[in-house]
Amino acid sequence: MDDAPIRIVDVHKRFGELVVLNGVSFDIPRGRTTAIIGPSGTGKSVMLKHIVGLIKPDSGQVRVFDTDMGRAREADVYRVRKRLGMLFQDGALFDSLSTGENIEFPLRQHHPELSVHERRDRVDEVLEMVELPGLYDRPTPALSGGQRKRVGLARAIVTRPELVLFDEPNSGLDPITSDAIDALIGHLKETLGVTFVVISHDIVGTINVADHIAMLYQGKLIAWGTRDEVTHSEHPIVRRFLGRNLILPHAGEPGPARLPTIG
Amino acid sequence: MSHLRSALAWLGGLVWFVWDWARASIFRRPPAGATLTEAYRIGVQSLPVLLTISLFVGTNLALQGFKAFQPLGGQRLVGMFVAMAGVRELAPLIAAAMVAAKAGTEMASQIAVMRTREQIDALEVMAVNPAWFLVTPRLYAIVLVMPALTLISIFVTLVSSLSVSVFQLGLNASTFLEFATGSIRVYDLLAAEVKAMVFAVIICFVSCYCGFVSTRGPEGVGAATNRAVVVSCIVCVSFNYLVSQVLYG
Amino acid sequence: MLYPPSMSETLASLGRFGQFLGRVTWRLLTPPWNGSDFFRHTWTVSVRCLGPVVAVTFPFGMVIGLQGLLIFDMFGAQRLLPSLISVAVLRELSPVLASVLVAAQAGSSYAAELGSMRIKEELDATEIMAVDGLRWHVVPRVAALIVACPILNTVGNLAGLAGGYTMAVGVQGEPSGVFLANLWVFTQPADLAAGVVKTAVFGAIIGLVACYHGFYATGGAAGVGRAVNDTVVRATLAFFAANYLLTSAMFG
Repeated sequence: MDDAPIRIVDVHKRFGELVVLNGVSFDIPRGRTTAIIGPSGTGKSVMLKHIVGLIKPDSGQVRVFDTDMGRAREADVYRVRKRLGMLFQDGALFDSLSTGENIEFPLRQHHPELSVHERRDRVDEVLEMVELPGLYDRPTPALSGGQRKRVGLARAIVTRPELVLFDEPNSGLDPITSDAIDALIGHLKETLGVTFVVISHDIVGTINVADHIAMLYQGKLIAWGTRDEVTHSEHPIVRRFLGRNLILPHAGEPGPARLPTIG
Repeated sequence: MSHLRSALAWLGGLVWFVWDWARASIFRRPPAGATLTEAYRIGVQSLPVLLTISLFVGTNLALQGFKAFQPLGGQRLVGMFVAMAGVRELAPLIAAAMVAAKAGTEMASQIAVMRTREQIDALEVMAVNPAWFLVTPRLYAIVLVMPALTLISIFVTLVSSLSVSVFQLGLNASTFLEFATGSIRVYDLLAAEVKAMVFAVIICFVSCYCGFVSTRGPEGVGAATNRAVVVSCIVCVSFNYLVSQVLYG
Repeated sequence: MLYPPSMSETLASLGRFGQFLGRVTWRLLTPPWNGSDFFRHTWTVSVRCLGPVVAVTFPFGMVIGLQGLLIFDMFGAQRLLPSLISVAVLRELSPVLASVLVAAQAGSSYAAELGSMRIKEELDATEIMAVDGLRWHVVPRVAALIVACPILNTVGNLAGLAGGYTMAVGVQGEPSGVFLANLWVFTQPADLAAGVVKTAVFGAIIGLVACYHGFYATGGAAGVGRAVNDTVVRATLAFFAANYLLTSAMFG
């Protein structure tokens, strides 16, 4: 995987006494969907925040598009961020702006070359993609939880990024809305063909859209590989975590699990 | 001791925050359209409160001045006392305290809510510098509005103490006015405006910083709002002494 | 609020506040009392406001010294400066400034505490466990401010006078003996008593306004922010108005 857009090299991070990431390394392949899974409090969100440069590692490197996000100059970090989009847990929409203005926000900030009409067309296009056509003028506080996520997703992809990150796309949603979001992610993955990284503790839907899975447990990477490799892993914690959450298609068969060494 | 250390760490963080803002924003245009909206909000929100408080500050200045000068037989001096105390010290500080309480707390709680709801992280990830985007319009707006609010406060203070002196204390209106206008120089008004701008900068940075570093959740928002007004008041009063010492000492 | 609320809205909220005032007063005057919380809150408020009160009254005392000296220089009456300082500090500045800071520090933290308890349904839980939320959470806080405000006012008096002394003696070089001899020319014990009465009333006002806004907060984290904001502004307005009435009654 030579042209991996994200390379995570031996990342350590602690908050005070609490060790959150303890030597995590893996490369996220281009053009595929990678899910980072694990129980609550194992550092999944912290991992994601390292990737976008909101948190800096204590040691190790997080390279995104060949930029070391922990040590690069602010201008370089911003240059990387202009090439990615992120869906936040609750959308992180601005209440003072309407739905459409929220989606338009990154275009207004970074693409002054676009005319008002071009911007509006781009917004309508992504609203269509997230299956919320015609919601441009809806006030943000009037959106439901599922709609907020869709709008957040529309804002993440409106700049046509090369990399889209999802922070718990299913959290706080009922099962039906949650399935719809997963289906939407699966659909976008095919239409956009860019790199997706999904953080989730809700395995059922995530596993269906993921090509690769990384599992974190107590600050360590305990499983990493393609979907089949990980779902057939023999690692006891992986089995327990997955077993609770989904009925495997071939539950009895031992799979070719590839486990990294744990130091 | 640990209190002192955390207070110093906090102040250090504030200085860093100002520096960080300046680096990213000082030569950059503010986000389009936001400054005037903010100025309007700050002005409109703070004005009713400011008018009411200035009114009562005026009444009490007159009452206390009268009470203090009466034993000396100096009732005539009330006008001068009100003018000097009001214009030089009280009106700018009262305007600052009320803008801190109204607009400052609002800045802190808005930004803290944005922090809670990951909107500040979202700005970062969308490659928009949050300090530039959130602080710049508020800063320019408050620096624009504070001098005007201070002038209004001065005016209301004088009118209300004139009314109390004449109607409640039975003083002569023309004597009051003569002594009052005789002791306000242009220099004093300019000094009050300088103070107003200094206070505006303090309130803006202190309040925004409180919001930026707040912890997530309702307690975090409450604590940030709380800290914004207390720290703004303390820093403004301390700077008031410094500015007065420089301008009048 | 960008636009002034309608008349009927204002009257309705005044009515709600009146009801709250009656219910809290009744519980303040009748047992059972939540004594341990009262002492805890009194202690916390006094400690938390101590620094801010000193940090504000001390420089204010210095400024009075600075400006007073300019005035009295014109009449050659520098002797009177300490008397002016003590009159200004004891009668007006310390009570008002101490209360502004109590409103900003304690009032707003009460609104924030009660507000987040309301948002996180802790207050509902209290009621469901058949515990009177007003008696348990509100009364001790209001009572604590009634006691803590006069205490902080005393601290403010001392800090203000110290500020004036620092300015006159330390910076301007007035003789220390002259300053101290003239300090009490115009002030009487009645002034100190008036300060205590005033600040106790201010404390009650701040406590009631703060707890009202916190206790009835709505609207998530943003609602807590709004409660805190409203508390500081409205409590300050209310006690400035009360200050005028009390000053008129006492000195007028």
